[in-house]
Amino acid sequence: MTAVLPARPATTPGEVPELLLEVAAVAHAADGVRALTLRHPDGAPLPGYAPGSHVVLTCGDRRNAYSLTGEGAPGEAYRISVLLRPDGRGGSAFVHGLAVGDRLAVSWPRSAFAPVATARHHVLVAGGIGITPMLSHARAAVRWGRSFELVYGHRPGAGAHREEVAAVCGERLTVHESTPGMLDAVAAVLADRPIGTHVYVCGPAPLIDFVERTAEELGWPAERVHAERFSADLDPGEPFTAHLSRSGVRVPVPPGVSLLAALEGAGVAVPSTCRQGVCGECRVAVVSGRPLHRDLYLSEAERSAGDAVMCCVSRSLDDHLGLDL
Amino acid sequence: MDPVGRTVSVLGFGDPGRAIVHDWAAATPAGRLTWCVVAERADDATLTALAAQVRTARVGWRLMLAGPEVDVLAARAVATGLGLLDAEIRTAVTGADHKRVSCPHCRVITEAEVPVGAEVPCRGCARRLHVYAHVSRRTGAYLGFMADAEEIA
Repeated sequence: MTAVLPARPATTPGEVPELLLEVAAVAHAADGVRALTLRHPDGAPLPGYAPGSHVVLTCGDRRNAYSLTGEGAPGEAYRISVLLRPDGRGGSAFVHGLAVGDRLAVSWPRSAFAPVATARHHVLVAGGIGITPMLSHARAAVRWGRSFELVYGHRPGAGAHREEVAAVCGERLTVHESTPGMLDAVAAVLADRPIGTHVYVCGPAPLIDFVERTAEELGWPAERVHAERFSADLDPGEPFTAHLSRSGVRVPVPPGVSLLAALEGAGVAVPSTCRQGVCGECRVAVVSGRPLHRDLYLSEAERSAGDAVMCCVSRSLDDHLGLDL
Repeated sequence: MDPVGRTVSVLGFGDPGRAIVHDWAAATPAGRLTWCVVAERADDATLTALAAQVRTARVGWRLMLAGPEVDVLAARAVATGLGLLDAEIRTAVTGADHKRVSCPHCRVITEAEVPVGAEVPCRGCARRLHVYAHVSRRTGAYLGFMADAEEIA
């Protein structure tokens, strides 16, 4: 079959290419978890994506990133699963209010959590709704014959996509319904896997912290450990001034206003997508001053290099931060 | 010494490598050193033995290599080819007189005692190769190219 995919639309800096998609199906994936299937209203094929990719949905006045749960083959409908967060800021409630036939703006898929092509074996660790990118990884691993296993921990009876995950993974799945059992299982896996293995974790912050700490204690180099966090929760921060080295413009950044928003307010277009320190789109080069990194995107090595800042959430340790803008 | 590996294997080449391996082995805490070998060269037998170590290793293992650059590069290429990362390999190079020079014209590798910037005849196609500073970490060889390629015959 030859599918003609839509060309990626031309955009100006600061603008993110979007698709207008229609809700084709709504399903119950677990208590509080709604699974949506999104299609092009004309039935046109959708762009493929790397396993572990996410899309950014425009949820009323918010933009939230959600992992795609499909294999990622070009032409597939997009599937997302969203946990309702009653104490959240309204994004998940918006998604739970959608019905078949509703249309919404969806970004092109963005890859920030892809499998490492040279890995000999992939260990997938999912906690709760963190199963969503792992479902994508597992489907693609089966399709391409990659060696993998999935350790899935969730509250009793609350496992999203439990049957689907079992069908995809077969013997490669282990499920844990208690936190101690889950952590013991993860530690046992990390203690004994062949060289060339990479581990991927998505879930609540304590699970990610446990995987990162345990892996480090067992001698895993950071390059073998990959985490996808839900989002950062940040304080308003101290005021500082951004110096734009190319234009000579100075932009004050007050507390409670992000560097990105301040730049936009000053008429400086910076590409951005998730605006919560996850996607990596709004990276800006730093030419002077020390960034206060608060994102979840840059690696430790990139942070200590201090030559780039994710301007949607990160700020400045010094009064002035020089940017290559 | 690598401070974070759970287990360590050490491979040295020649007399200069032997001295370093001896120091490393003495500095490794008891029980962490799983394999310690000194070979004359990174020949097929040595590289096969190294590959067997890498294939059975578990994550948390570190490899340390000491000796002439030509041997360390060859051993490193075997290890990374089997999935080891830069972060899992430590090297100590004791000299770089000998080089493996890769000919992009006939794809044969020539080993010679030659500095970067000098010329060496390719043993495959006899072209005069200029030894360039580019090293392939995948093949463990320097890039050579035809020295007079842009001269009009």
